[in-house]
Amino acid sequence: MELILQSIINGLIQGGLYALFAVGLVMIFGVMGVVNFAHGELVMAGAYTIWYLHAQQGLGYLPTVVVAVVLVTLIGLLMERFLFRPTRNDPLAGLICSIGMLFILQVIATLIGGEGPSKQVPPVFQGTLVVFDFLRIPNQRIFALVISVAALVTLWYFLARTKLGWALRAVALDREASALQGININRISMIAIGVGAGMAGLAGALMAPLTNINPHMGHNVIITAFIVTIVGGVGSLSGAVLAAILYALFHTFMTVYFGGTIATISGLLLMVLVLIIKPTGIMGVRISE
Amino acid sequence: MNMLIRSIVGLIILIVLLIVPHFLEFHHQDLLIFLTINVLVVASYRLVTLTGEWSLIHAVMMGVGGYTATLLFLNYELGMWFTLPTAGLLSAAVAALLCFPLLRMTQFYFLIGSFAAGEAIRLVWIQFLDPFGGTGGLSGVSPPMIGDIDFMDPIPYYYLALTVVSICLFLLYRIEKSRVGLTLHSVHWKAPLAESVGVDTWRYRALAFITGSFFVGIAGALKVHYIGTITPNQYGIGFMVFILIWVIVGGYNKFYGPIIGVIVLTMFDESIRGFDEIRPAIYGAVLILSILFLPLGLESIPGKLKAWFIGSEVVEPPLTDE
Amino acid sequence: MPILEVKNVTKQFGGLTALDNISFHVDEGEIRGLIGPNGAGKSTMFKNIAGFYKPTSGDIHYQGQSISGRKPHQIAEMGIVRTFQETTLFQEMTVFENALVGCHTRARTDLFSAILGLDKQKQRQAADKVMEVLEFMGLSERRDQLASELPLGSQRALAISIALVSEPKLMLMDEPFAGMNPEETNHMMELTRKVRESGITIVLVEHDMKAVMGLCNYLTVLNFGQLLAQGTPEEVRSNDKVIEAYLGGAN
Repeated sequence: MELILQSIINGLIQGGLYALFAVGLVMIFGVMGVVNFAHGELVMAGAYTIWYLHAQQGLGYLPTVVVAVVLVTLIGLLMERFLFRPTRNDPLAGLICSIGMLFILQVIATLIGGEGPSKQVPPVFQGTLVVFDFLRIPNQRIFALVISVAALVTLWYFLARTKLGWALRAVALDREASALQGININRISMIAIGVGAGMAGLAGALMAPLTNINPHMGHNVIITAFIVTIVGGVGSLSGAVLAAILYALFHTFMTVYFGGTIATISGLLLMVLVLIIKPTGIMGVRISE
Repeated sequence: MNMLIRSIVGLIILIVLLIVPHFLEFHHQDLLIFLTINVLVVASYRLVTLTGEWSLIHAVMMGVGGYTATLLFLNYELGMWFTLPTAGLLSAAVAALLCFPLLRMTQFYFLIGSFAAGEAIRLVWIQFLDPFGGTGGLSGVSPPMIGDIDFMDPIPYYYLALTVVSICLFLLYRIEKSRVGLTLHSVHWKAPLAESVGVDTWRYRALAFITGSFFVGIAGALKVHYIGTITPNQYGIGFMVFILIWVIVGGYNKFYGPIIGVIVLTMFDESIRGFDEIRPAIYGAVLILSILFLPLGLESIPGKLKAWFIGSEVVEPPLTDE
Repeated sequence: MPILEVKNVTKQFGGLTALDNISFHVDEGEIRGLIGPNGAGKSTMFKNIAGFYKPTSGDIHYQGQSISGRKPHQIAEMGIVRTFQETTLFQEMTVFENALVGCHTRARTDLFSAILGLDKQKQRQAADKVMEVLEFMGLSERRDQLASELPLGSQRALAISIALVSEPKLMLMDEPFAGMNPEETNHMMELTRKVRESGITIVLVEHDMKAVMGLCNYLTVLNFGQLLAQGTPEEVRSNDKVIEAYLGGAN
């Protein structure tokens, strides 16, 4: 019972972080039609910023989180301008460019941090919240949960209540029709990737004190993001958030009882299963001729 | 006349291929063998992409062949004459099973689905120490000895690999140039039109996927018999990305494009040895630059030069059909 | 003897009814016109017959056999071939290769005979058939040109050639005259008649009224997914409901 409750809490916190980066992937795919394989490396870049500026150079944690978000947003904007915009009519070319970017970001991380063992960032918020005498939630994780929920709510408000958010959703539904309506596709793409990358950077910054940091940490991130995106329904942001939470719970439980590898295998099989039932993703539309 | 020129060019290539290892130092002989095997990897990948689907499971399929050969060799002491074809057949069988879930998907969904299926297979190798040996993999596979010839030496093994790969390339070429190949093309460009004259698109996509996996399974066996060890990480997404880079930089519209890609990039790779740390980034940059500025690959350069001199226009179709 | 019978076919997409309880039949040797204003459901009807859609309810019979629910390639194998709106061709292939794809069902080949070269005779027969059809359609001069390089009229002729090579009994032609000038239209009408004379039944979806009236012996008119009228071109031309539907559509 205690183990179950503890796993639920851990899973929920993990779910918030998963949602942060999965939502970004969905937005970029929805608006620009490109699968950003380097999305995991954007998370990694966020985590590295924390490690380098905060843990190494002694800058305060909160300011560094802001720097991380700004920096990763900037990387995203550069990717849109120089990689995705020239290849807009060819989604496969965009995807391959993002693979190239993945290598470049990994090497930059290696150059900054060097090879060798994974880096750790000591927790900033000391102490642990104890509930019912047996539930232990480190304050650092509570902070991560609060910030990720706040970021997701802000995103929801932006998309549902603002004119710009409305334009973004219109482009995601039908790019050509939106362009005919006078929506500036380049500008909307910039916003989509800026927000998507920024959220990935934030996820990385929040994860930094909770995980091992190394140049290849993006690999697990992208696998998780794919699973969440497919299970949640490609193109559906709320679906992605829900799937992120459910998958995080699922993964946490599987890890507790069967180990991490089996947990990831089951996640991948779950995703293949969803694709079998609905070969174009849950929200996907079949295109005929 | 044309025939004569072709025969002469073919003969020159053959002679170069036969004598080249004798002019190389040991390290480069090693590399030559890997290059020979990788030529088969990209050529078989091209067969899969003929129907217009880009799979991300090809590297794992090579691993399936490699593990098959390894387990057969270690547990039953079966020689290469047996492990090689069996590795191909088992890869093909695994591919055939995967067709049922994967071929329901197209384009991105197929791409991501194949990636997931491949990762799942790789994690199975990692998870089950018996028989796959976990992250550390397996070792102790050795090449055959025939009479006095020890294939542990690079030069004899090179000739062996060259023979196997040449036969496979010949078969792949025959397939592509046959009506089967034409039908695969037709499935890629206009699937509804192909269907409307009776082409079962599912069957042809399956055919390409299974046959491509068969040949890359053989490549996996060839590799493990030479290096003697196999690990799950050799066949991860990292290697898959290299396959993509070779194919795309070389150009995938012609049979020889990917082969040019793997040869040129292997030489390029050698020339940037010593920059080991930043090598992946250089690759990444090459990939991006070739997509942006040479979308049809190295293979298109002669045509472009010709067009530039004669002044006609080169039409560049997009990577994917809209 | 009807070659094609459409029996009470209804097709719904979500809440939208694209075809509402349509029944008609086509006799062997006809050139049947399937006409109606935009959005009448003509293309949807074609897709149901060719197997790209499955009717929500109702049945389609071909030579007395039910075909609804079968896959496009199975239906093609039975002898129903569809040509497409616009110029759907394998643009990157030559004229000859395009038509060769049409041989798929009539001269089957498989991987092993392809590798071993066991199917030489079959290949030669396929090539002969292709050349015969290209000759028939007046394309033999252009056999090695890329499909994308052909003028519009020849592209349409090639589309029909691909279908003809597969030796169909029933051909569904989707707007073969769209975008053609009068000269091209005349040429195309001649070709269509030639195809019919070679023993192939034709069902035609077309907006070009001159072509429809000149070619078809019988017309089926759809409007908003419903069967509006049937009859000879003269009867349909003077049918009040048809006139109203077309005038209404024009407004």
